[in-house]
Amino acid sequence: MVEIILFWLFSILGIAGAVGLIFNRNPIYAALSLIINFFSIAGLYLSLRAEFLAVIQILVYAGAIMVLFLFVIMLLNLQTEEKAEKFDAKRGIAFLFGLAFAAEMIYALRSFASEGQTPLAAQFDYGQVEPIGRSLMTSFLFPFEMISVVLLAALIGAIVVARKHTYT
Amino acid sequence: MPFLLYTGISAYVPLFLLIIAGIGLGFLLANLSVILGPSRPGIKKGLTYESGMDPVGTGHERFSVKFYLVAMLFILFDIEVVFMYPWAVQFRQLTQEFGMFPFWEMITFVLILFVGYIYMYKKGGLRWA
Amino acid sequence: MMDFFTPNVYSYLAVSALMFALGAVGVMTRRNGIVVFMCIELMLNAVNLALITFSRMHNDPAGSILVFFVMCVAAAEAVVGLSIVLAIFRNKLNIDINQVNIFKW
Repeated sequence: MVEIILFWLFSILGIAGAVGLIFNRNPIYAALSLIINFFSIAGLYLSLRAEFLAVIQILVYAGAIMVLFLFVIMLLNLQTEEKAEKFDAKRGIAFLFGLAFAAEMIYALRSFASEGQTPLAAQFDYGQVEPIGRSLMTSFLFPFEMISVVLLAALIGAIVVARKHTYT
Repeated sequence: MPFLLYTGISAYVPLFLLIIAGIGLGFLLANLSVILGPSRPGIKKGLTYESGMDPVGTGHERFSVKFYLVAMLFILFDIEVVFMYPWAVQFRQLTQEFGMFPFWEMITFVLILFVGYIYMYKKGGLRWA
Repeated sequence: MMDFFTPNVYSYLAVSALMFALGAVGVMTRRNGIVVFMCIELMLNAVNLALITFSRMHNDPAGSILVFFVMCVAAAEAVVGLSIVLAIFRNKLNIDINQVNIFKW
């Protein structure tokens, strides 16, 4: 019963956050809607018994990445996007595309809705910290080491691009 | 007596109740004065409080790019620590199986990022002035 | 009646698909560069939700670990992307992506 309530609460909240993100013209409000969406996705992870990833979602996304986004919005001090004067054909096509995509996915995934496929009741062993740490250190060792190279590249690239330079 | 009486998502019901109570209390306290107190708005009262002076400029002040650099470094090293957490939890079992290999794995990970730290230090990324 | 409301794999995948579609619409319609970035983060999150659902369905660690990596790559991408936004802002004094058209011929 609890799982049902939480699933519907968090999925509706998450989709509301996503709608708020794409329709708010003020970038700060859009960022705050996205934070609501991130928190509800963490709640959905919790209802899937992926507890560790729910915590990481809040730590990394809501705690770090969104802070960076809000910093940049305040750094640039942007005004709200002004409304498009006339109806733009490109925007209409974009909405049609999005609608078609959602309908197509929901149709294509319908086989998961059929009876006899109730895997969510099954046990899930990989939500806790210990099995994730174990897989990270054994089967996924090479991607783990490569992530540090990705972070190194991001660090160097961001420092070079973001700072002001005087050429000598 | 086990620490967690319930397993599964039911174990989180107290947490959700706490979140709901926190949000509710915040809303209640923020709006209680509006509901209960008298409301006599005026021009002087509506002004931004700036230590008795008339307010100067807009409320949106542009930040300096230094804050962005610090936030960016925070994120990258935050990710590094997030990776250390499952490693540290599982460290004892892994050393019993593989010896010191997991330790050197993490040392390699940290050393690769340390190269970036040295570059940033030399480039002056931590210098505030 | 209760069966309809009980979440199964399909419900999670449908939520994920809807979020992905909304993010794609945002990328195509918004003109503010930062909001476009936020929509990309939303699409990454939708994919993460689908990955964890499949990981739960097959009781397999690969999906969960992949989500972990996607989060880290998303953080790196946000750091570099926002630096690029700052650099564009320094040159053009706004970040309207319709005006950043150096690829156009």
